[in-house]
Amino acid sequence: MGCCSSNNNKFYYCSSSIGKKQLMAISAVMLVGFSIAHMIGNVLIYFGPKYINLYGYHLTSNLLLPLAELLLASIFIVHIIFAVILVVENYLARPVKYHMKVNSGRGANFASATMPWTGAIMLVFLIFHLINFRFGTIYMTSYDGIEVRDVYRLLIEFFSNPLNLVLYVTAMIAFAFHLGHGIQSIFQTVGINSPKYTPCIQKLCLLLSLVLSVMFSTYPIWSYIKSIQ
Amino acid sequence: MSEYDNNGMTLFLKIWRQKCCSEKGEMVNYTVKNISADVSFLEMLDILNQDLIKKGEEPVVFDHDCREGICGACSLVINGEPHGPEVLTTTCQLHMRKFKDGDTIVIEPFRAKAFPVVRDLMVDRTTLDDVITSGGYISANTGAAPESNAIPVRQENAELSMDAAACIGCGACVAACGNASAMLFVGAKVSHLGLLPQGKLEAQERVHNMVKKMDELGFGNCTNEAECEAVCPKGIKLTNIARLNREFAVSSFFKKNDSGTKQEWS
Amino acid sequence: MMENNTNTNFKLDSKIPSGPIEKKWDQHKFNMKLVNPANKRKYNIIIVGTGLAGASAAASLGELGYNIQVFCLQDSPRRAHSIAAQGGINAAKSYPNDGDSVWRLFYDTVKGGDYRAREANVYRLAQVSNNIIDQCTAQGVPFARDYSGYLANRSFGGAQVSRTFYARGQTGQQLLLGAYQALMRQRNTNKVKLYTRREMLDVVIIDGKARGITGQVEKYVADAVIIASGGYGNSYFLSTNAVCSNGSAIWRAHKRGAFFANPCFTQIHPTCIPMSGEHQSKLTLMSESLRNDGRVWVPAKAGDKRLPHDIPENERDYYLERIYPSFGNLVPRDVASRNAKLQCDAGKGVGNTNLAVYLDFAHAINRDGEDKIRARYGNLFEMITAEDPYKNPMRIYTAVHYTMGGLWVDYNLMSTIPGLFVLGEANFSDHGANRLGASALMQGLADGYFVIPYTIGDYLARMTPFEKVETNHSAFTASEKELTEEARKMMSVGSRGKRTTTDIHRELGKIMWNNVGMSRSEESLKKALTEIPRLREEFWKDVLIPGKSEDLNVELEHALRLRDFLDISELIAKDALERKESCGGHFRQESQTKDNEALRDDENFCNAAVWEHKGEGKAPIRHVEELKFENVHLSQRSYK
Repeated sequence: MGCCSSNNNKFYYCSSSIGKKQLMAISAVMLVGFSIAHMIGNVLIYFGPKYINLYGYHLTSNLLLPLAELLLASIFIVHIIFAVILVVENYLARPVKYHMKVNSGRGANFASATMPWTGAIMLVFLIFHLINFRFGTIYMTSYDGIEVRDVYRLLIEFFSNPLNLVLYVTAMIAFAFHLGHGIQSIFQTVGINSPKYTPCIQKLCLLLSLVLSVMFSTYPIWSYIKSIQ
Repeated sequence: MSEYDNNGMTLFLKIWRQKCCSEKGEMVNYTVKNISADVSFLEMLDILNQDLIKKGEEPVVFDHDCREGICGACSLVINGEPHGPEVLTTTCQLHMRKFKDGDTIVIEPFRAKAFPVVRDLMVDRTTLDDVITSGGYISANTGAAPESNAIPVRQENAELSMDAAACIGCGACVAACGNASAMLFVGAKVSHLGLLPQGKLEAQERVHNMVKKMDELGFGNCTNEAECEAVCPKGIKLTNIARLNREFAVSSFFKKNDSGTKQEWS
Repeated sequence: MMENNTNTNFKLDSKIPSGPIEKKWDQHKFNMKLVNPANKRKYNIIIVGTGLAGASAAASLGELGYNIQVFCLQDSPRRAHSIAAQGGINAAKSYPNDGDSVWRLFYDTVKGGDYRAREANVYRLAQVSNNIIDQCTAQGVPFARDYSGYLANRSFGGAQVSRTFYARGQTGQQLLLGAYQALMRQRNTNKVKLYTRREMLDVVIIDGKARGITGQVEKYVADAVIIASGGYGNSYFLSTNAVCSNGSAIWRAHKRGAFFANPCFTQIHPTCIPMSGEHQSKLTLMSESLRNDGRVWVPAKAGDKRLPHDIPENERDYYLERIYPSFGNLVPRDVASRNAKLQCDAGKGVGNTNLAVYLDFAHAINRDGEDKIRARYGNLFEMITAEDPYKNPMRIYTAVHYTMGGLWVDYNLMSTIPGLFVLGEANFSDHGANRLGASALMQGLADGYFVIPYTIGDYLARMTPFEKVETNHSAFTASEKELTEEARKMMSVGSRGKRTTTDIHRELGKIMWNNVGMSRSEESLKKALTEIPRLREEFWKDVLIPGKSEDLNVELEHALRLRDFLDISELIAKDALERKESCGGHFRQESQTKDNEALRDDENFCNAAVWEHKGEGKAPIRHVEELKFENVHLSQRSYK
């Protein structure tokens, strides 16, 4: 299944079970980092149209943006491709399924068991999100003579449709579960597990995933409320 | 004192029957009567088999040997859990006092691509031996050993090493894992040997060779769900998998032994 | 009677080297012929069994360059029953500085075996004991260590020094995994070929030499054959052996001409979980190391049915401490077992069945604290499911555990069939009439790591050149034909019979336990010798085996083993009847001292009884190997 079977170079690493897992983990770290930045940036919505629109303008006018976008896209792609490979391999590792299988209650949980599904939901959401915002309608506005894209208007307009609101909040619930298992799993995959610190790390990871998903949910909700006012 | 001491239990069993690897198997229903709470799970199957044999049917085949929880031969997924509902217990040490009169018990073999069914509940776990063969040892030829107290070992490391070495190679971790991964088994061996000064020298090669072999044999990948740890009859910890992950990454990118000691064992 | 079938003319050559005992092994190693390193790859060796002895031999011989084919009956070599040994392994390291030495280990072992072992073998065992610990440590066996990082020791029965090395309560497991890993390392270099789920059913002898083995459908050829298949304790049906452990490999070899020594020397272990019910499939041992801190007692009054807590100190009888003040609870196994039986016979047994005694940790917990005791024995206590051993004394009783007897071997561990070597519990050589705790692991590894690699080379070098043999040789075909015929006959009975193999085996076990158990008499042995042949007849008339012989058929496998157990049991009883003395694990009621201790008869029985098979249905012949004690003074064993 792997991309290369040679033992003595980095390609072997990419094809090994642990290598694939660790590449997923490292890409996940970057994606979480991006999510945090994204979440913080979006807080500007609460300060009014000017802040968020100018923030968007400064972000997009940076010449390095295409490069950053390319990097981000490739991180996503790495994460997704390895996820697909691993899911397929894992499926094939047990050709005859159990007649009856229960989890012990001391290991797997809903979040860990649904990683491929919540991941798939995130992928669909991502495409949907990009279509609607990154490649969505371009309204323009200007501040102090500078022409900027009016993201704020798009937001309010988009979330005025309750269906969109429901879709986004649902996606964020999936996001919460995905990260709930995912973030703490990163530590284990790269080999950080100590009886002393791990319980604490796990709680912090859970907190982070909750903060992210709750914060991301508040934007659509706030936009919807704004739109009906 | 169990309430079933005097009148034994009646149990309804659903057992996987499969003639051989190449034939299709199916779940078959059986009933056993008068089972005392004091007999072990395998003794309950013995009783069933005696009944079957007397009826001229072929007995249910399963692996077992020491029946005291150490050889690792017994397996079985009982009501969806490898080695059944009791924690830190192998099937052979599971007692029927864990079940109630009238219970239905579903009994299946350990299932994984790497554990093909030999017959009924007996599976072929040679793949675990193959993983050990690829590097799960310290290369110390007979007769060449130094005085054993010449290299003191931190007591803490010796204890951690022993924790990992307690693995009985039953394969319950693979059976419980949603992905049929053998990471806990491999992690335990890598920890057992890597934590001792005697095993440090070959640690990098060991990790690489064992992981490579594990991948080749069709085990799945770890998704950190910890079902393996939960069902392990010997309580092998997930930290062993973390150590395996760590050592694998470090040895992939930082070859510690590019010169010097490597000559001795390459 | 003894005169009739004891052959004293035949001389068994034990090949013990001359010279002072300390020099024998070294001198012998020098005198042995060597196989040139480049020539080793030309030899093929078969090893049956992958316990401590088999696995360590396979690994060591593979390292030397021989081609090894190794066979085990389980799905993996790591399942061998050596894995279940708990307490530890002896060695004369004398790390605690308590006066131990090679000589003392040698002396303790000879004395513990009640002077029925070969001095030279035991001395060699004590000599290499230290190398074993070094070897295992180098292999990564995680022995227990002190805070200093140095190896820790504990005490065991039959010794007054602390010389037992241990890895929690799983020493056998860890030592076996060490040997197994060494074996797998050789498998990785292709020096060892592994054959699992196979049972040896015959040794093939060509020109008087062991040249291969046959199983149900397969044939393997070699230049020498090593049997390390363990003991025959399952003759008693209920024992601490693994359920699949069997005596077939040694019995089949015996039928082909390997003499069987001291079959009646069986060890009954004193600390097992008492029997509970009719359907019990095996008995579970608890490590003898528990006797380090546990005190054995029964109520002083017979028939006292009070709970242990309600019996005040002065109404308890700590009988081992009372009778044996200097060894106390750490007397050898045979003594502890027999005393437990005596107490129960006197009506002082405890528990529902009245067949148990208490093993009490209350004093140790008071003295050292519960945490310390938990650290020392925690995982041993886990096996007791019914009661909390930290609060209540646990109940223990005796169970068949080990067989000191086995195939006769000379100093080189070769049987009476040239080229057939026997290692570990399968041979008879080192433990005499009683094995001391923590010595089985020592012997298995000594044989495999440090003896056979030398002695097999000598044999191969002397016997060269070997005639080239293929599996189509007439001896192989004949063996195969016999086995097929045997299976066919068994299946033809089996398809019509009514009694399951388990049923017959259970009955055999009862006959053996009741008549050839802890205490034997002429009457009981004669009874066994009429009942076993009757049962064998019944077996051949009425055994029930479902299925076909070509398929994987566990009942047929059991039937084949049972057939051999029936024969072995008869030989055990015969041997016990002939040995009209008590010694170690063999206790004849007719031969005891005033205080019920085993009374040896050194004048007539200072020997190993060595049985020769004369063919199906014919009486076997008893030879003797006289034992000479030049270094240890023969005396009445005393642990008082």
